[in-house]
Amino acid sequence: MRRRAFHLACFWACLGVVVSGLAQEGHPLTGTWTGDWGPTATQRDHLTFVMNWDGEKITGTINPGLDSIPIASVFLDVTNWTVRIEADTKDQSGKPLHIAAEGRVDDIGSYHRTITGTWRQGATNGDFKVTRD
Amino acid sequence: MKHTLDVLAVGLGILLAATPVAAQHSFSATYDFDRQVKLEGPVTRIDWVNPHAFFFINVRDAGGTITNWAVEFGNPFDLEKDGWKRNTLHIGDVVGVEGIPARGPARQAFAKSVVLKPGGKRLFAAPARRASTPAAAPAPRWPNGHVRLGPPPGKKGYWGAASVKALVENTAVKIPMNDDGLLLNIADADKVAPFKPWAKAVYEQRQRSLLKDDPFARCLPPGGPRQFHTPYGFQFVEQPELGRILVLLGGGDRNWRVIYTDGRPVGQAAELVLSYYGTSVGRWEGDTLVVESVGFNERFWMTNGGLPHTEALHLTERFSRPDFNTLKYEVTVDDPRTYTRPWSGGWAIKWVPDEEIQEYFCEDNAESTFIR
Repeated sequence: MRRRAFHLACFWACLGVVVSGLAQEGHPLTGTWTGDWGPTATQRDHLTFVMNWDGEKITGTINPGLDSIPIASVFLDVTNWTVRIEADTKDQSGKPLHIAAEGRVDDIGSYHRTITGTWRQGATNGDFKVTRD
Repeated sequence: MKHTLDVLAVGLGILLAATPVAAQHSFSATYDFDRQVKLEGPVTRIDWVNPHAFFFINVRDAGGTITNWAVEFGNPFDLEKDGWKRNTLHIGDVVGVEGIPARGPARQAFAKSVVLKPGGKRLFAAPARRASTPAAAPAPRWPNGHVRLGPPPGKKGYWGAASVKALVENTAVKIPMNDDGLLLNIADADKVAPFKPWAKAVYEQRQRSLLKDDPFARCLPPGGPRQFHTPYGFQFVEQPELGRILVLLGGGDRNWRVIYTDGRPVGQAAELVLSYYGTSVGRWEGDTLVVESVGFNERFWMTNGGLPHTEALHLTERFSRPDFNTLKYEVTVDDPRTYTRPWSGGWAIKWVPDEEIQEYFCEDNAESTFIR
């Protein structure tokens, strides 16, 4: 049983290595991005973006799953690789909550390029950093 | 301007280099052709590994300090074709090297000449070759009249070097670039293809970074038109009884690609697995094999120089053999997410007679490639 569990762990570890090594050489925003945001260095919330380029616009979702938030708009300025992301959701009390993030795409040529910048969620301001998986 | 000068220097450097430059990495990104270096010392190690052969020497500076340098001196495949062996050089041999140093702080150089000391015997230099022109002949044909894309029965041969270094749009004027597909003038980017803004920005970024992030340099497959640009050629194996044509690649880690000629629709099952070579369906239009391919992943650069694409890429390739020794390759690129309209380019490829594709693998020469 332990041996089987070990083999299973090895399988998932190998799969993780393989998946993390996959390149994405198409549109620079396409793919899954993970990281966090928060108002301070210690107060952080996990963040996942999934974005796709359909030839006309970039669509996507923040934190796919039960609490997913559809991205309302993404604007990429290719002259300086800055990106602006906006989305609307509701807070725990059901009130509308607007999300606006502005950042810069760095290390464009890397598989694991990053976006870093500012994150505003309702009245809370913070910073964020996500890395493309 | 600096970019232009860099690229000019790269081109001159490659011309000057004694060893054929056919390895996979981007020389432009690795070596600084504006500088020269002279080294001398005993050999401490030899890595006879594709795609880059290295030896290491201990070099003593004026202050007596010894540092170990890695010297790249070609590709084992080409070196062996030129008659050189791994045991041409031995641990402990003292050599003098004139070469081009790596960019950055790495103690690494690309050798323009290697001389054994004492004695002065020059090593790893390409022999002077007389260019041989294969005899002119009409294209071979199958009994049913179709042109054969491979060798006729009982003969050997494969398709070798392409007439151009990278895919560009047919309507473009001649665009100067080096062997890596690096433009001599970055302002020519607009002439290469009808880019959407993001794609032009990505292409220019790849050019400005001297193609250092090229997936092919990391031994990933050369999908799309680039498969017909890699060193060491390719071959068609036509299997009409099986309804398919195999394309065997010599330079892309001996990859293969299947072109189905059994009448199946374009893109059947392509949505299931996106791949480096896509899903290809071919048909004959007279003496031209027309191949349509979809189902590409986004993990490769489809040509030297770094043209981007997306999963929406649809290629229409046209192969014809106007005579025995010439393959004409034309491709139409249709990727509405990347380019503003479909566009076409192409080149000619020469037949290498009486030889088979040699075994070549891009091996991960990690220790040498990542010298610090």
